[in-house]
Amino acid sequence: MSELTYATIDQTILQTLEKPRPGYWLIVAVLAGGILLGAACWLYQIFVGIGVGGQNNPVAWGIYLVNFVFWVGIAHSGTLISAILHLFRAGWRNPIARAAETMTVFAVLTAGLFPFVHLGRVWAVYYMLPYPNQRTLWPNFQSPLMFDVVAISTYLTVSSLFWYTGMLPDLATVRDRATGLRKKIFTLISLGWTGKHEQWRHYTRGYLFFAALATPLVISVHSVVSWDFALGVVPGWHTTIFAPYFVAGAIHSGLAMVLTLMIPLRRIFNYEKIITVAVLENVAKTIILTGMIVGFAYATEFFIAWYSFNTIEIEVFRYRMFGDYRVGFWIMVVCNTLIPLLFFSKKIRTSIGWLFGLSLLINVGMWFERFVIIITSVARDFIPHAWGLYAPTAIEFGIMIGSFCLFFFLFLLFVKHLPSVSMAEIKETLHEGAPHAG
Amino acid sequence: MKPVLSLKNKPLIIGSALLMAVALGTFILQLAGGHPQRAWQAYLINFLVWSAIAQGGLLFSALMHLVKARWTGRLSSLAEAFAAFFPLSFLLFLGLFIGREHIFPWLHEDLHGKEIWLNVPFLFARDFAGLLLLYGLGFGYLYHALTPKLRPGETDSGIRGFFTRRRQAPENTPERWQQRKTVFGLLYIIAFALVLSLIGFDLVMSMDPHWVSTLFGAYTFVKAFYIGLGGLIILAAVMRLTQGEASGLSSSQFHDLGKLFFAFCLVWGDFFYVQLVVIWYGNIPEESSYVIERVMRMPWQPLAWAVFTVAFIIPFVLLINKNIKTRPVFMIVLCALIIVGIWLEHLLLIGPAFAHHGAAAIPVGLSDALITLGFMSLMILALAYFMDLFPEIAMAQAPETT
Amino acid sequence: MPAERYVMGLFSDENQAAAVAADLPKTPWKLQRVHSPIPSQRLAHALKVKKSKVGWFTLAGGIIGFFAGFLLAIFTAMRWELMVSGKPVVSLVPFFIVGFEFTILFAVFGNVIGLITQTNLPDFGDFKHYDARCSGTHFGILATCAEDGQAELEAYFRQQGGEVRVFEA
Repeated sequence: MSELTYATIDQTILQTLEKPRPGYWLIVAVLAGGILLGAACWLYQIFVGIGVGGQNNPVAWGIYLVNFVFWVGIAHSGTLISAILHLFRAGWRNPIARAAETMTVFAVLTAGLFPFVHLGRVWAVYYMLPYPNQRTLWPNFQSPLMFDVVAISTYLTVSSLFWYTGMLPDLATVRDRATGLRKKIFTLISLGWTGKHEQWRHYTRGYLFFAALATPLVISVHSVVSWDFALGVVPGWHTTIFAPYFVAGAIHSGLAMVLTLMIPLRRIFNYEKIITVAVLENVAKTIILTGMIVGFAYATEFFIAWYSFNTIEIEVFRYRMFGDYRVGFWIMVVCNTLIPLLFFSKKIRTSIGWLFGLSLLINVGMWFERFVIIITSVARDFIPHAWGLYAPTAIEFGIMIGSFCLFFFLFLLFVKHLPSVSMAEIKETLHEGAPHAG
Repeated sequence: MKPVLSLKNKPLIIGSALLMAVALGTFILQLAGGHPQRAWQAYLINFLVWSAIAQGGLLFSALMHLVKARWTGRLSSLAEAFAAFFPLSFLLFLGLFIGREHIFPWLHEDLHGKEIWLNVPFLFARDFAGLLLLYGLGFGYLYHALTPKLRPGETDSGIRGFFTRRRQAPENTPERWQQRKTVFGLLYIIAFALVLSLIGFDLVMSMDPHWVSTLFGAYTFVKAFYIGLGGLIILAAVMRLTQGEASGLSSSQFHDLGKLFFAFCLVWGDFFYVQLVVIWYGNIPEESSYVIERVMRMPWQPLAWAVFTVAFIIPFVLLINKNIKTRPVFMIVLCALIIVGIWLEHLLLIGPAFAHHGAAAIPVGLSDALITLGFMSLMILALAYFMDLFPEIAMAQAPETT
Repeated sequence: MPAERYVMGLFSDENQAAAVAADLPKTPWKLQRVHSPIPSQRLAHALKVKKSKVGWFTLAGGIIGFFAGFLLAIFTAMRWELMVSGKPVVSLVPFFIVGFEFTILFAVFGNVIGLITQTNLPDFGDFKHYDARCSGTHFGILATCAEDGQAELEAYFRQQGGEVRVFEA
């Protein structure tokens, strides 16, 4: 970091906003195609009915919910990095904070589609909003699903505002070096920011409050999502550990996604001196921690199921391990708890190839964790006569592919049009009093 | 400047000895006077609370070392001093065996198969092993954390000699020492989570043998870190008050420590609420009976609200303000209050079971306070002993090399 | 009255800029404002900036949100007074979640309102006397002086280690 100067930081990051190569537009086009595929599947579902998905009795919640929880989870570690680590004054977060916060906003956006997708009558979704109507009907705020509405909208709003506010100084930097249309646009969106001391004085205070508010928000949002399951009485779902367990799992998968995104990003944009291997290593170390928490949660659930001597509880867990969906279960355990232990090896956690590969595996594992939790518990609950299986259909996969494409499409657009690393924050972490030009 | 926290401090020793004598007397009187349950209840609660303060206190140092925090300075050394209570805690645990007839309500119940887990030999064996492991790793960490800070002297012998002797060996380079410290720190943290969960399940949750809460283990260790931080703040504040500027503790350190304490107040409150909302909402009788008895029925309801107010509401409201965190006297009072609150929380959790669900009034009174003061004196004496053994920790020395 | 001249001293070194910022009030020239590409603690200290009031807006928002959340949930439950799942019509345990989320949401709104009102953004008026380097590599200290004092001011900035830029009017 010591060879960096303010000028080289600006140069490195502003360079990324230059005209992209044709390959970029090709990838964007492919991703847009994926989104259209997802949209088409969804449209088909709206016209033909929710039955074209695999959900039915007894498994009424299928991979639409799995994807919902997956994407909300990914969003969480973005806020962990940008807000919580800011409160802890962990400087290593500065190079990745912007991209991580962006990941949060787009992941929440993507996640927010799924409650719409898994509704049968999407056109009635506005019923969920508390607006005065002539029948004096209101949503039931005791329902965990309403908690979701409130929590996810709050999270989307707060993250977007946090993201935008954090970008203001950088938008000004881009404005001052841009020409033509770009200069006009950035003049507008930077709100005339000039970095004078009155602006910074309020800005730093406001940013601190954003971080301080986003932190309990992160904990509460994924707790609320976990309560979609835990507040019911379904065995395997109704358990007190869900809230912290889901939050830890969310951060686990989000950090893995951070690695998945940062590693190609730093290569393509020549960010190696800014997003150093040391930064990635710290992410990997944090993944060890979250992986251990997730493992602890698995072990505790199994122990308590046995300790409770409740035959139904014991059967739920036996079914998870050895029943119809055991493949998903073992993928989950290996990828989420054992694979992260490999990061104890310095060699592995400083190797770009290993970091990238393992991050993908961890996210596969976390996807399967939600699959195992949601599907197995509902496939076999209290009444054996009502047991049944579930398999996702092509329509569901189509929408899932569409959601992944949407996320990466938005992220790709972002990295070429907005500064993907926070210039102001990197400059802040440089050594004191070092000359900044040249 | 003579250190206050020292075995040479006559008033302190006499005072502590007196409190311990009174506590022991009260305990024996209750045993003999037909209230063995009350006596052992107080013993168990105090064992859990004071051990948690010690375990959580040491955790602060290990945790800060692992995340490479740079603000802690002397606070880490003070945190390490809490390991001095570990041997006492271990002995106190063994003491529980003597009172087993009165401690475990399920002892003569038909547990419908759960006896293979809930039986005295297995329970004591596994908790013995767990505490041995936890304290062993804690000492391993302490050894590697403490020794580099010591100035070896010719007259070092006994325990102190053990610490300073090895340090002279040439193969113990600073890097190797740091590495080992990191490894022991990590192992201690993992053991903290696992062993405290086990203790929580075995010595608190299982008092109601047919009630379960999967989060209870994590709730126990989060609670322990919460009051461990409280204990550390009290110790640091005492150092600041008695040594002034020479204590090496700045107000920004108190501010940061106070913020961490506030954060764990929220985490503890969150872990409590998270269990409450799931149990309340599911409304399954096997689970909700536990909560109803403690939160919605007499005589326990007032206690529940007292615990909530003292251990959550008051710290929440007071700790939001910045200045309060940097006032040592205030923080001592607040942290002491919170520790009392958590003491009462333990009573709330195990009290109904101890009273076999038939309590007419909350079983707390002067005797419990006296016994608690006795345990507090044990903690003070343990810390004083540590400070005498390692004067480098008792008085600040510059610069701190953690 | 002789016309005022706007002169900006551009410093690439944070320490130099902080020193000048602390020194300028003692000179006959008037310090208008200081631009910096980073939130500099040293500059803030040199300029003796007061603590920002944004927090009060945040707090106000949070308090409003707390009550708004509870009130919304309680009001909507009371409209039909139906017992759902055997829970009391007005039950604080689940309503706490709604209250909590609204607290955060409205606190953030308060924060944003505070930021907007306190910083007076959007504000495009500063561009007249602004240098693009201030958002990149330099700290810009803008001072005004009388027309005849301009050369002196320029020399002062140069002496302190900075480059100079003069603005027309």
